[in-house]
Amino acid sequence: MVVGGLSVACDIMTPLEHYPVVDLGPLMKGLAIGGLGIVHVFLAQFAIGGGLLLFCLQWLHMRGGCPLARRFIDGYFKVLVLVSFVLGAVTGVAMWFTSIQVSPRTIGVMVLEFHWVWATEWTFFCLEVVSGYLFYRYGPRLPDATRLRLLGLYAFASWMSLFWINGILSWQLTPGGWLENHDVWTGFFNPGFLPSLLFRTISAAAIAALAACVLINAVPGFSREDRASLVAVCARPLVFMLAMPFLGAWYLGVMPADSRGWATGGNVPMTLFLSMAVGSSTLIGLYAIVAILRQRLFVNGATASLLLALAFVATAGGEFVREGVRKPFTVRQYLYSNSIARDGVAVLRARGSTTDDPYPVRDAASYANEQLVLGARVFRAQCSVCHTLEGVNAVVELAGGWTIEQRRINIAQLQRTKPFMPPFAGTPEELEALVQLIGWIAAGRPTSWDLSNDGRVLDDIRRRMDEAGTGPGSPTATLAVHLREGPQDAGVRPDGPP
Amino acid sequence: MNAIFPTGFTAPTALYLSLFAVTLVLHAVFMHYVLAGSTYLAFGRLMGPRRCAVCGWQSILVDWLPFATGLAITAGVAPLLFVQILHGREFATANLLLSHRWMAILPVLIVCFYLLYLQKSSWLARRRWVWRTVVAALACSGFIFIAWSWTENHLLMLDRDAWAPLYESGALRYASPGVLPRLALWFFSAFPTLAIELVWQGRLLGLDVTRPPAAAEVVLGLSPVRRLALAALSGVAGMTAAGGLYGQTLTAADREALFGPLGGPWLTIAITGLVVQGGTWLAAAFCNRMPHGLGVVTTIGWLATLCGLVAARESIRLVHVDIATLAERHATAASISGFPVFLTCAALTVIAIVWCVVAVRAGLAR
Ligand code: HEM
Repeated sequence: MVVGGLSVACDIMTPLEHYPVVDLGPLMKGLAIGGLGIVHVFLAQFAIGGGLLLFCLQWLHMRGGCPLARRFIDGYFKVLVLVSFVLGAVTGVAMWFTSIQVSPRTIGVMVLEFHWVWATEWTFFCLEVVSGYLFYRYGPRLPDATRLRLLGLYAFASWMSLFWINGILSWQLTPGGWLENHDVWTGFFNPGFLPSLLFRTISAAAIAALAACVLINAVPGFSREDRASLVAVCARPLVFMLAMPFLGAWYLGVMPADSRGWATGGNVPMTLFLSMAVGSSTLIGLYAIVAILRQRLFVNGATASLLLALAFVATAGGEFVREGVRKPFTVRQYLYSNSIARDGVAVLRARGSTTDDPYPVRDAASYANEQLVLGARVFRAQCSVCHTLEGVNAVVELAGGWTIEQRRINIAQLQRTKPFMPPFAGTPEELEALVQLIGWIAAGRPTSWDLSNDGRVLDDIRRRMDEAGTGPGSPTATLAVHLREGPQDAGVRPDGPP
Repeated sequence: MNAIFPTGFTAPTALYLSLFAVTLVLHAVFMHYVLAGSTYLAFGRLMGPRRCAVCGWQSILVDWLPFATGLAITAGVAPLLFVQILHGREFATANLLLSHRWMAILPVLIVCFYLLYLQKSSWLARRRWVWRTVVAALACSGFIFIAWSWTENHLLMLDRDAWAPLYESGALRYASPGVLPRLALWFFSAFPTLAIELVWQGRLLGLDVTRPPAAAEVVLGLSPVRRLALAALSGVAGMTAAGGLYGQTLTAADREALFGPLGGPWLTIAITGLVVQGGTWLAAAFCNRMPHGLGVVTTIGWLATLCGLVAARESIRLVHVDIATLAERHATAASISGFPVFLTCAALTVIAIVWCVVAVRAGLAR
């Protein structure tokens, strides 16, 4: 359908949908979504774990196990509301908006596929806000039994929102049988669902326990003995961290082999992030179990803050890995990172990735010729979601030093150059335009630049593209392998030769 | 387009249109409270500390605005979901075109949220009065900015011809003659909502306007109910003027949708509601109290206006999209299972929320 000169396709699996691409200047888009995601996940887990912790504290209090709990719960809840209800809720909306800015098609597919799940999550979100706010306002004046029920509802509602969103997020990496039957529940209860849910629940409990240790020291009016007894109770959930290595291993086990490969040595930044997450969690776990729970050492405000900061680092590492290892897909085997449908590459190689793009290039006059403008359009459509031209992870930095021949070959066989990149999905003319653009910028953007339209070069590019095929680069990342052997197949070097 | 909204479309399209409209009304119930409430507070602060201390509405607003903001955001998530099922492509495109300007609503929202909490703090209470006025004015401006952004985004969604030139220009603002009057329409429509919501809230919190006012409650010659009547009637007058101006910016096709079978009945409902509200608020101002029955009639009028406004708003949008093509997408969406799970959870959540309120009231009574 054509409206106002713009083509508006509605079949969700058209090879490529054109949106106005946002330019974040030197900032990589992944950093924007990743950075925000870390803050949001940390706050959300604080809220979820906080609910569970406070419910348990109230229960202990009613059984006479923690006389100070009631006062502490009220103080903790105020912080929970001020931090998590405001920042947590708004960063949640921000995640949605940022996802649209970075990859509107990915979020569009997720919304379409899981809209009832999301709507269901929203109902629990409403319950969480109402029960939480009522507790915040009236909790101190309520009898214990009502407090317990209110906290129970709050904790249940917040954990349920994790339950629902976890199914959607884990589906992106391990869609499992959904790829064959497109059944929403098969996608929701995907292979990564359970390990991820349990892991996140324990992370939430640990973050809430550490935040409690910080607050116990910050709330005025408690004596040193009071604090010590509260810390001894609040730190108990940290013992669940003992299960983290097993759950982590389980999660790694169900990941696609190539994704696991990126995180375990195949890709240096991913491996570093995973090490960061594992290292920080280990430090927290060791300190908690040996020092706090066994030797009953007192945790002062500074130590608690440090442990909480480590928990943030662990969350950051974990979230970067989760986002990163999906490459070259945003939805495994379905949608590439640059929002091109897996099955659409062949179509775009014939039709071109920019042919239907209605959005002009900004400052087109500043390019030395039309071919470079085309190159800019190709970059925008296929590369800009992960790269900048000259900022972070810049293509000109990465490919500017290659010879022109290398550039042609490496881009024509992009998935072989690095298997966490999708295959090039355009015509040879588009590829050559991109090659010229990189060369032109690397040369300092001279005012005149020759057109490159040698037929033999284009033929050679086509031959190289055909050689590499239209599938992903890693042999274990192909759909056939995924469906035949499941995601568990191991032992393939992810950045090895195809 | 020859039947009243949302009928006359395929069942999936009608389902999503209805869900969107209902949840948008819910969003507006709280968003109006925040928008008009923060404005009421900002203007109220200009009256100085002694008069403000007498105004019970201001105390209620200071106390409840943060929660209302939380509810406005929470209630906004559902229409955000459904608008993407209905018009995902257009919504995302407008977001992307406005880019950083659009994303600015998020930090602004966080700042406004904290400013509302700041207004409740004893720390601010110890500062000079001018600071309370500044904080209230900043929060109000922030919410108006957010409302402006939603309006701009909405109008940009409808104007496909503007997309490519706007992208090329790199401008982060969509200047259209419709933006200001439309924003004014939303802004003024928030005041009747606030007024009637405060009537009910006041009853629960001990500020009962069914009785004649005490002399001590009068501020600048206005009793509590007259202050609400003034706000509501200003809103009604403002809506009428802004609506008229906005009407001038509509295209012939828009008008056809608005006055034809699709939106016409809803527009009539909205206008009737507005007339009812105008009448009941005048009566309340005249009697200097809002008897229970009058409150109920005002509430019905207000709901009619709000629902009529939202449905009429959607009718206009429907002439800008190829609904037949989108119907295919809606059919795909509706074929995805999960609706019964959503309905069950929604029902259980409503029960749980009601239980929370009842339990807290019972607990407090004890
Ligand atoms: C408290 C701050 C907010 C204010 C003052 C506000 C104001 C508005 C206004 C004035 C509109 C109508 C726009 C028009 O028709 O011209 C609107 C629509 C809408 N708002 Fe809000 N809003 C707020 C927060 C939010 C948040 C946080 C969300 C999302 C979670 C949200 C979701 C929506 C949606 C989905 C629409 C309908 C958009 C459309 O149909 O084009 N709002 N809002």
